[in-house]
Amino acid sequence: MILRIDGKQIEAKKWDTILSAAKRNGISIPSLCHHDALENVGACRLCVVEVKTSSNGERKLVTACEYKVAPHIEVFTHSEAVRRSRQTTLDLLLARAPENKLLLDLSRENGVESTSYSTSPDANECILCYLCTRACEKMGCNAISAVGRGQGKSIQPPFLTVPDACVGCGSCAAICPTGFIEMIDMPSKRVIWGKEFERAKCESCGAPLIPVAYREWAIANRELPEDYYLQCQECKRKELASKFSGLGVS
Amino acid sequence: MEKTLVVIPSKCTGCGTCKLACSMVKGKGEIIARSRIHIHTTGPDSHVQTTCLQCVEAACMKACDTGALVRNVETGAIEVNADRCIGCGLCEIACPFGHMHFNLQTGKSEKCDLCGGDPACARFCPHGALEYK
Repeated sequence: MILRIDGKQIEAKKWDTILSAAKRNGISIPSLCHHDALENVGACRLCVVEVKTSSNGERKLVTACEYKVAPHIEVFTHSEAVRRSRQTTLDLLLARAPENKLLLDLSRENGVESTSYSTSPDANECILCYLCTRACEKMGCNAISAVGRGQGKSIQPPFLTVPDACVGCGSCAAICPTGFIEMIDMPSKRVIWGKEFERAKCESCGAPLIPVAYREWAIANRELPEDYYLQCQECKRKELASKFSGLGVS
Repeated sequence: MEKTLVVIPSKCTGCGTCKLACSMVKGKGEIIARSRIHIHTTGPDSHVQTTCLQCVEAACMKACDTGALVRNVETGAIEVNADRCIGCGLCEIACPFGHMHFNLQTGKSEKCDLCGGDPACARFCPHGALEYK
């Protein structure tokens, strides 16, 4: 189907959202909580754009990540209403995470220098984008969720105790856009959400690998031979090289 | 698949030009250790280069549950779609040959994608030990 974004005519698929159609056509719309592999939740409100439907000509603000395209709609990604909405969103996000570099850069790009709201004394860098909880859900673990309400809302394991369902995969830390979720890898253990996970060791050289619990989870949840998970990268490569050299190729 | 990256260890002198080329093309050249091609010294004057084998039944693809690893039908390479990678790192540990690389800075996996059909390692190898044919 055909729609217009900022006056440019683009072709979209019927399952597209405004965001996905825009992206495929090289039109950039800022967003913090969207991820191609995860369900859209419209949490960050940064991708808000203005839509004019052909039926009544009304213009309304919608989240580009959630709004499904329809034939002949017109989308505005830089109108005055969008600019104001984006600035308000960034102002509010900055109030939660005033020092965060990613947010500060985005805010400056959009004409917001600092937050006009008072910042919480226990401000942290979590902007409640739910990327971590959705990544955890995608892994099938569901070990973290939003806890509390209002200003005190935060992402935590239930009852602030890391459940056995958490295997220390680290997806939440990897996907967190602001770097709020801290994961520390030490030679013998991985620490995340305050829980220590013993790390497996390469059976050839003893180098630390993923947590033992994660390896067990992988063996149970992926159809791959168990011995694929026993060695470190370097030892696997060396083994491959020595097999090649055993063939007399070198 | 039309072409394959052919490794000819008998011609390899272990000079590391391929690694440098890879890290220049795939990064900013500052971390050669992040090269996606590796050289192993297997004896006096004997070197073997290893890189992603672009397996037909790839363990990395089986480990990935988000569809972030996709085979490019033109080059035959398995490519990372970073927009779909959630950073679980399972592909890295699942690869039986050690050629999937998880970048801790970006939280995404990286691998050899044959430079989209013109691999820099083969282009820069001064000894003809890597051929893309």
